[in-house]
Amino acid sequence: MIKNIEDNDNIVESRVKVAFLQSSDCWGCHQSLLNAHLGLLPVLPALEIVYWPCVVDFKYESLEKREDGEILVGFVEGSMRTKQDIEASKLMRRKCQLIIAFGSCSCYGNVHGLANQFSIDDLKNRKFLEVESIADYSNRIPDEHVPSFENKIVPLDNVIKVDAYISGCPPKPEQIISSVLFLLGQKPFPMNVSAFCNECSLNQSGCILDEEKICFGAITSTGCTMKCPENGKACVGCMGPARNVSSKIDKLNKITDDLNSISSGDKKNLYEFLTLFLNIPLMAGFDLAGDILKQIKNKGKVSTPLTNLPSAIEEVTSKLLQYLRDNKNFHEISNVCDTCSRIIGSRSTMTKVKRDYEGLPNLEECLIEQGYICMGPVTNAGCGAMCINVNAPCSGCYGQTKWDVNQSERFADTILKSFNVSISKEELLSQVKDHIGTFEKFTLASNKGYKGGE
Amino acid sequence: MVKEIEVEPITRLEGHGGLRVVLGDDGKVQDVQFNITSTRFFEKFCEGRYCEHIPRITTRICGICPIPHHLTPTKAVEDAWGVKIPTPALKLRQLLMNAKQYSSHVLHFYALAAPDFLLGPMADPALRNVVHVINKMPDVGAMALKMMDFGQKLCAAIGGKSIHPISAIVGGMKKPLDEEIRDKFLKEIDEQIEFTKKTVDIGLKIVEDYWDVVANVGVVPTYYLGLTKNGVHDIYEGDIRIVNPEGNKIDYNAHKYLDVLGEHIPKHSYATHMYYKPAGYPEGIYRANCLGMINAADKMATPLADEALKAFRDKVGPVSHHTFAYHWARIIETVEAIELIKKYLEDPDICNPDCKTLDIEPREGQGIGVTEAPRGVLLYHIWSDAEGICKKLNLLVATNHNIAGIEKSLMHVAKQVFEDKILERLKLPDPWIK
Ligand code: SF4
Ligand code: SF4
Ligand code: SF4
Ligand SMILES: [Fe+2]
Repeated sequence: MIKNIEDNDNIVESRVKVAFLQSSDCWGCHQSLLNAHLGLLPVLPALEIVYWPCVVDFKYESLEKREDGEILVGFVEGSMRTKQDIEASKLMRRKCQLIIAFGSCSCYGNVHGLANQFSIDDLKNRKFLEVESIADYSNRIPDEHVPSFENKIVPLDNVIKVDAYISGCPPKPEQIISSVLFLLGQKPFPMNVSAFCNECSLNQSGCILDEEKICFGAITSTGCTMKCPENGKACVGCMGPARNVSSKIDKLNKITDDLNSISSGDKKNLYEFLTLFLNIPLMAGFDLAGDILKQIKNKGKVSTPLTNLPSAIEEVTSKLLQYLRDNKNFHEISNVCDTCSRIIGSRSTMTKVKRDYEGLPNLEECLIEQGYICMGPVTNAGCGAMCINVNAPCSGCYGQTKWDVNQSERFADTILKSFNVSISKEELLSQVKDHIGTFEKFTLASNKGYKGGE
Repeated sequence: MVKEIEVEPITRLEGHGGLRVVLGDDGKVQDVQFNITSTRFFEKFCEGRYCEHIPRITTRICGICPIPHHLTPTKAVEDAWGVKIPTPALKLRQLLMNAKQYSSHVLHFYALAAPDFLLGPMADPALRNVVHVINKMPDVGAMALKMMDFGQKLCAAIGGKSIHPISAIVGGMKKPLDEEIRDKFLKEIDEQIEFTKKTVDIGLKIVEDYWDVVANVGVVPTYYLGLTKNGVHDIYEGDIRIVNPEGNKIDYNAHKYLDVLGEHIPKHSYATHMYYKPAGYPEGIYRANCLGMINAADKMATPLADEALKAFRDKVGPVSHHTFAYHWARIIETVEAIELIKKYLEDPDICNPDCKTLDIEPREGQGIGVTEAPRGVLLYHIWSDAEGICKKLNLLVATNHNIAGIEKSLMHVAKQVFEDKILERLKLPDPWIK
């Protein structure tokens, strides 16, 4: 569908050094990377993997021996359970220019953060002293050649500075590949001369920009099926940049001058544009304040990873990136429900909270309206509503869309506002017996307000 | 002077660990330690959770075998609450288990084990990896990728996610397989069976080439733990079977596991050591995983796999203590997995919407679930209160079962390497990839 970009000489100048670290975790993020299988092959030649103990025979010293900052990108997977996890992460920080918190363990602590409900002694005692199958009464806690435990699990960014986050447990392979491609600035686009507007059926009358709404047709290359405007949808830039912008560029510029007042529908389009046109992957809380782009391009101002952009396009995209840099909560607007195909405002209504084992929901209506707790409305988008597709509610593995609030209450407030729910907030919350396990299964370690076990 | 050789991290191992060999000044091996350096305390933090949520938490124990970690606690809760599941759900779960078994074994063989054999164990470490195998043997690489892909996609289709599935629920499955999707997999199944046969050929050739290694390095008599259903290899419904070093088999009901499987807390590893309780520690150290399963089985569940088992027995006898026979055992299991996948894909029940028991009441009680994960037996013991909240949890995971046995075989190998200098005498074949 998309042809190779013609002048791609300077896309991969030299191989990029990357390193992968696993902390206390399940290996799943790396398994997900491996699941990309054939998708990985085009990426591999551009990478020089210098540390990847789960797949390649590298020893820890080989990482220690590297120069500081020698490695461009370091992926840190896993939660910070032991002293060794902490030390290895700090070592990665020194050796890598960019650190990516890879997966919900390093982003949020993941289910391992549920351990924060208990003291470290309670945890150790259960596992090493009390478990029913302990049979030779050795009565000891291992302490020889094993690192000590941290008292509490914290997210990676409490330990070292993190430049970008790829959330998900695990992140989807596509997400990982697009992140890597993004870092390499390598997505191929057709880059036709003419911009989308020139062939758009709404060009003469009914132009979306005339309604003061965002449409990216002016800077996007032709080459697609032109279906979006016909269906009343704005162009979100799938085909990437055109060589020449259309005359509508001025209007687009005007609208993008003040992004703070755009509607939520426009934000959604902007979100898609970032992914499709600028190839910025679905990284929850993608932190441009860390100047990932600057480091890649070694330039002072925020700029896109795409090469050879016409200056008019560069101007628009820079504004979007600035906006993103200044609005870290931008991603809040996008949650799992946005990608879920179920009907909200269906014929069903939550009249009592059902447990997951009760009955069997139908496949069409929103699970909340059928009575189940689904974390979709308060969970970062990115997975494509995978769980809901097999009729299981979302349990929040991509992380919360908002922090520093009481998550149970926020969930209740959100669903009472936008879903068919006919019980009161108090009833709803009292019917859920395990608030932490239901609302903060993956993110308890990131909840600064939670004090937990002593 | 005492010399310590430390290898950290142990690569290509899922789990976090280091290996330590202590040599005395006489050059004798004094100690071998397999240090598993992390644990995350699932046993504790599952307390207070809804029992039906546990299968969505414990998947995170292992990203390589999340499916057994999803299904086994589900079985345990069903046991505790006295819930029966409909036949279509059982078949879907069997299909899901075997899809995982298939992709995981193929991954293990091609990505984790084959690099050593195809390149030779003495090759440059920087090249001794699956990426290099793919570059140098593109046909084999492409085939391996297609096999893993098939297994993973099937896992994702049934489980909802291939890593950390969510479709099982106490009482059955949340959704049957769509017929269209089933048909897509059916179309590819014969090709996959051909691929598996080719993998068997490669595996057998490696065994033949490295026979000197297989037969002489790491031949360590231990007990074995496997699962069988009436003597037949069964990774989802099998019950506990112990094989003693002489090859005698003893069957146990999983509800009695506390009489059979004991946990020893070592001073140097966060993964505990398991042993066969009646024999005591360390005499009762057993090995699990595919070799345990194969040693335990009287018979495989499918014809091609059963033939492969017979060939194995002809070569190594009724019980194999050969550490390097793990690779062969794994291949036999791979054959069974793909044959079972075909069988279940051809069964219309997997698309039957009657896949969940609707009326379920939590009740106070204990439940046990046991299955074979691709790295060894997995056992969940859950205590539920009357509301269905988890009061306590105990788990025995593959790492526990294997770790003591691995240490025991490493001790043996270390002696062979450092004291008997066996590497200088071994006949190693020319590597396939140079
Ligand atoms: S984020 Fe999930 S998949 Fe990744 S390592 Fe952690 S538990 Fe495993
Ligand atoms: S609450 Fe869940 S089921 Fe409902 S729309 Fe959102 S993601 Fe879909
Ligand atoms: S639906 Fe929710 S729990 Fe499932 S993968 Fe997506 S974010 Fe994770
Ligand atoms: Fe345990």
